[in-house]
Amino acid sequence: MTLSGYEALFFWIFALSAIFAGLLTVMARNAVHSALFLISSLVSVAALFVIAGAEFIAGVQILVYVGGVMVLFLFVIMLVNVGAEEMGREEIFNKQKQVTASLIFCFLLVGGVLYAVSEGYRGLQAINSQKVAEQTALQAARTQRLGTGATGTSRITEDTQNLGALLYRYGSLPFEIASVLLLVAIIGSVMLARTLKQEASADDVDPETLQEEIASDPELAKLELRSE
Amino acid sequence: MLNFFIPTLAFLFQSRLVDGLSRMWESAKQPDLSKFLVVGALLFIIGVAGVLTRRNIIVIFMSIELILNAANLNFIAFSRYLQVTNPANAVAGQLFAVFVIVVAAAEAAIGLGIVIALYRNKETIWVDEIDLLKW
Amino acid sequence: MYKYIWLVPLLPLIGAAINGLLGRKLRFSEQLIGGIAVGSVALAFLISVAAVYSYGFGGHAHWPNPYLTSQDGFSFDWIPGGAVSVNAHSHTAQGAEGASEGTKYALLNVEWSYQLDPLSAVFMLIVTGVGLCIFVFATGYMHGETGFYRFFAYMGLFMFAMLVLVMGSNFLMMFVGWEGVGLCSYLLIGYYFQRQEAANASRKAFITNRVGDFGFALAIFGIIATFGSAQYTEVFNLAKGYPIEAIGHWGVLSWIALGLFIGACGKSAQLPLHVWLPDAMAGPTPVSALIHAATMVTAGLYMVTRTNVIFQHSQTMLLVVALIGMATAIFAAIIGITQNDIKKVLAYSTVSQLGFMFMAAGVGAFAISIFHVMTHAFFKALMFLGAGSVIHGMHHEQDMRRMGGLKKYMPYTYWTFFAGWLAICGIIPFSGFWSKDEILWNAASTTVIPLGWLVWLVGTIAATCTAFYMTRLMALTFWGKERFREKPEHHEIHGEHGHAEHVPHESPRSMWAPLVVLAVLATIGGLVGIGAAFKPITGSDHPGGKLHIANWLNPIIWNPTTGEFNVPHGAEHEPAAPETAHAAATETAPAHGQFVLAPYPDTGFNLAHAVDGVLHSHLATEWTFIIISLLVAGIGIGLGMLFYVKSPSLPDAWAQRLRPLYNASYNKFWVDEFYGWTITRRVMDAARAVYSFDSRVVDGIVNGLATLSRGLSQVVGGIDKYFVDGIVNTVAAFIKELMSPLFRAAQTGFTQNYALVMVLGLMIAVATFFASDIARALKQFFAAVM
Repeated sequence: MTLSGYEALFFWIFALSAIFAGLLTVMARNAVHSALFLISSLVSVAALFVIAGAEFIAGVQILVYVGGVMVLFLFVIMLVNVGAEEMGREEIFNKQKQVTASLIFCFLLVGGVLYAVSEGYRGLQAINSQKVAEQTALQAARTQRLGTGATGTSRITEDTQNLGALLYRYGSLPFEIASVLLLVAIIGSVMLARTLKQEASADDVDPETLQEEIASDPELAKLELRSE
Repeated sequence: MLNFFIPTLAFLFQSRLVDGLSRMWESAKQPDLSKFLVVGALLFIIGVAGVLTRRNIIVIFMSIELILNAANLNFIAFSRYLQVTNPANAVAGQLFAVFVIVVAAAEAAIGLGIVIALYRNKETIWVDEIDLLKW
Repeated sequence: MYKYIWLVPLLPLIGAAINGLLGRKLRFSEQLIGGIAVGSVALAFLISVAAVYSYGFGGHAHWPNPYLTSQDGFSFDWIPGGAVSVNAHSHTAQGAEGASEGTKYALLNVEWSYQLDPLSAVFMLIVTGVGLCIFVFATGYMHGETGFYRFFAYMGLFMFAMLVLVMGSNFLMMFVGWEGVGLCSYLLIGYYFQRQEAANASRKAFITNRVGDFGFALAIFGIIATFGSAQYTEVFNLAKGYPIEAIGHWGVLSWIALGLFIGACGKSAQLPLHVWLPDAMAGPTPVSALIHAATMVTAGLYMVTRTNVIFQHSQTMLLVVALIGMATAIFAAIIGITQNDIKKVLAYSTVSQLGFMFMAAGVGAFAISIFHVMTHAFFKALMFLGAGSVIHGMHHEQDMRRMGGLKKYMPYTYWTFFAGWLAICGIIPFSGFWSKDEILWNAASTTVIPLGWLVWLVGTIAATCTAFYMTRLMALTFWGKERFREKPEHHEIHGEHGHAEHVPHESPRSMWAPLVVLAVLATIGGLVGIGAAFKPITGSDHPGGKLHIANWLNPIIWNPTTGEFNVPHGAEHEPAAPETAHAAATETAPAHGQFVLAPYPDTGFNLAHAVDGVLHSHLATEWTFIIISLLVAGIGIGLGMLFYVKSPSLPDAWAQRLRPLYNASYNKFWVDEFYGWTITRRVMDAARAVYSFDSRVVDGIVNGLATLSRGLSQVVGGIDKYFVDGIVNTVAAFIKELMSPLFRAAQTGFTQNYALVMVLGLMIAVATFFASDIARALKQFFAAVM
């Protein structure tokens, strides 16, 4: 799967962009800046997905990750509304001990991972070299057979069809489970984020606790509580 | 001090350095699977560093998203590689990436709900102020 | 018909069971309870009559042989015992069943079967017949009592026990019945259990009985050890072969007879075990009539007569029996003169008459003693029921000093009581005359024991006293002034309700009808025992053949002269039985030397022979004694009339003159007080001593051990708490001091610390996994660098 030419160039552009944006995510002072840097990182990664031939996933990434999750993040950041951070009076990093230890470990990890990747890839190459050669040719032939896009240069791949076939044929159970998971997440998040007032009016509060809360917050008493 | 050592080392090992650099340039001109993996690994480590280092809880969550993304990148890279080596099961990587995205979304929703509940109770988003388990 | 005698004890038992178990639960009415009880006894009576008739007079009459139900298959293997070792000196080993040479064992198999022989026939008829009259009376007398069902249940149970006693075929059945009647006596005397005096009296009766039962039980053990069996037929067959033990020679049969007689003393209230009978009057009157006049107290007589073989082998015991009977008779008669409670008078009269019966047995006239049992049952039951009727009519007033002149208020009661009075005084031709006269005649003419004349003399005096106090009773109760109209004295004896005047009334028919029946029997009942004195009129010694009591009972009386049963005394003189006489004459002394299988050694002065010597006519002698006994009866009645009808001031005057004797008589010779002081209180002292020993010493030891254990446990607990736990706590504190800061420092509560540790752990895990590869790579790197 060796990339070459413009693919290689764009690969490097987007790879460096992703890494750089990720770094800035972690180092930004303002949380909104962090969110925006993360968005750019995610978009770069989506581009990398396209280069790697997973167009559908790239689309899903943009739609769901960037369009859903990051928007949610932004909502929450707004909700939380930390003024001191913006004004630069708060510390953004932890105490020194923690940071030092983390950085040491991270550098160790970097070294280890890089070495492991290179060694691993060499081994992989050694095993698969012949196959790679064959399959590359076949792959090229296959791509020749695909239809072209409007411009005549890019091919209309069958990535989505393949993924869909696999998903609904072999991955149907995990699919259903994932949908249940999403349902649970929806209910859970709604439940977690309720205010006391909302809980009291839905009659979900223990009476004793309610009495304590009313004692500390007289506004609650104004609610018409269904149980009484 | 560093101003002294680095040039000295560079001078001493210059041949090796040059050798290594040229090799690197050649491989960079033709990026393949290993480059993808490296990119993923670096993103992962950056995410880990962010989780361990930042005080703002929202930023920690975003670092976690970075980590998940890195994992996704790995999956997709291998999916592409497998298209060449083992075409029949290649799409499995993308399939798994779909699920990772699903889980990430669910986890983000719940997590942010917790953050909101936590903020309502403790009026803070700094994690080092949330230390009830401290002895 | 005699096959069905096993029904006779069973029917009252069934009636008792129904009444007792269901009477209260199903709330039977009084009529139903009474009906069941009376019906069961009536049926038993009818079956008894039919059985006795067919036994004695029917087509397949068994008389004179005893009939055992086991002959027809009705017998139950009650105690299938094994080998019983038999007294080495006994004669059983020779020729006994199941015995083997040299080992002296016999097989003891006790069965539950009934025996119908002359003696048990008489008792069956008395018990069921008189019992039937008393049951009918009781349905009227006990009317309105809350424990009506209980009364009849106990009475039925008593009938069962008494019938087992008299109908049993072996000593163990007799013992069962013996105990059973003792139990029922206890239950019935204590019928009014809420009254302290009734409870005390029932306990006294039971315990006194038990003293006697102890002797009886020892005697039974002796019988089994000596004869190897408990069955009457076997025992008596073996016993008749034993030598007679004359006075001065005390052998095994004397021991057995002694034990038996102690039992009889307890049951039949002879001196010194008579104390329970007067107190037993605390029970309802029908109970007194049935148990303490007619049936239970005669069980002793039954037993003595049943074992007359054994008694007749021991001359000493016969003397003892006669003397104690005599002493009891006079003793109780003297006490009876001064008593004021109508039932107490009758009770002492019963004791006295029982003394007469034992006198008869002691002088060898066993059939006559049974005859007196029969007539006494009739007239004493009659008088007790009459007293019950009086008490009922007088609204439960029992003190004779507050009665009087009841003749015109209670005619039936009066005339029937009149008949009983004449019977007990011994006026011809009432039943009491025949039996009492025969007793006195046999006492005077006995050749069985010495001192026969003394027995006669004391018996005659006792008969005089009997007539006297019975006349006193009649006078105080039925004749004379109506003292119940007088205002009661300021300290009353029965005085919860100080009612001034209650006009006495006659009892209902259910109560006077049995009285009439018994009065008829008291009048004509003596005709079955007309004595030899009337031979000129009747033509035979014992007129009536089998119907004469002496003839009827002959098969069970052993004749010491001939050594056989069923030979009447005196028959050995008749030429009609030459073989028997020849056998007697040629009977050689057995191997045991001095003792003679012959009439007893010379018994000294014999009154009858003395009179005979003067008058030279046997008949005249007999008539002399008859005249004397009628005379003394007349004297007694006359004195009674004088003292209580003619001049009522005389009793007090004479009581003053004979003050010591009067006091002794009134206080019952202080026997109860003596027993209390010597026995009862000493036993209670011993009980208290044992109790204090138990509670102080034994319980003290136990409690002390418990306290010791508690102290020990406290010590151990202290050790555990302070020493052991101290060690543990010190060690724990030491470790805590050491480690606590270390572990505490790890609990920062800071999530990212935990995350850092997780990452570290992950790295270590991966590194461990790839350890060899990492080592290789490092080596290569250093190799490359160097």
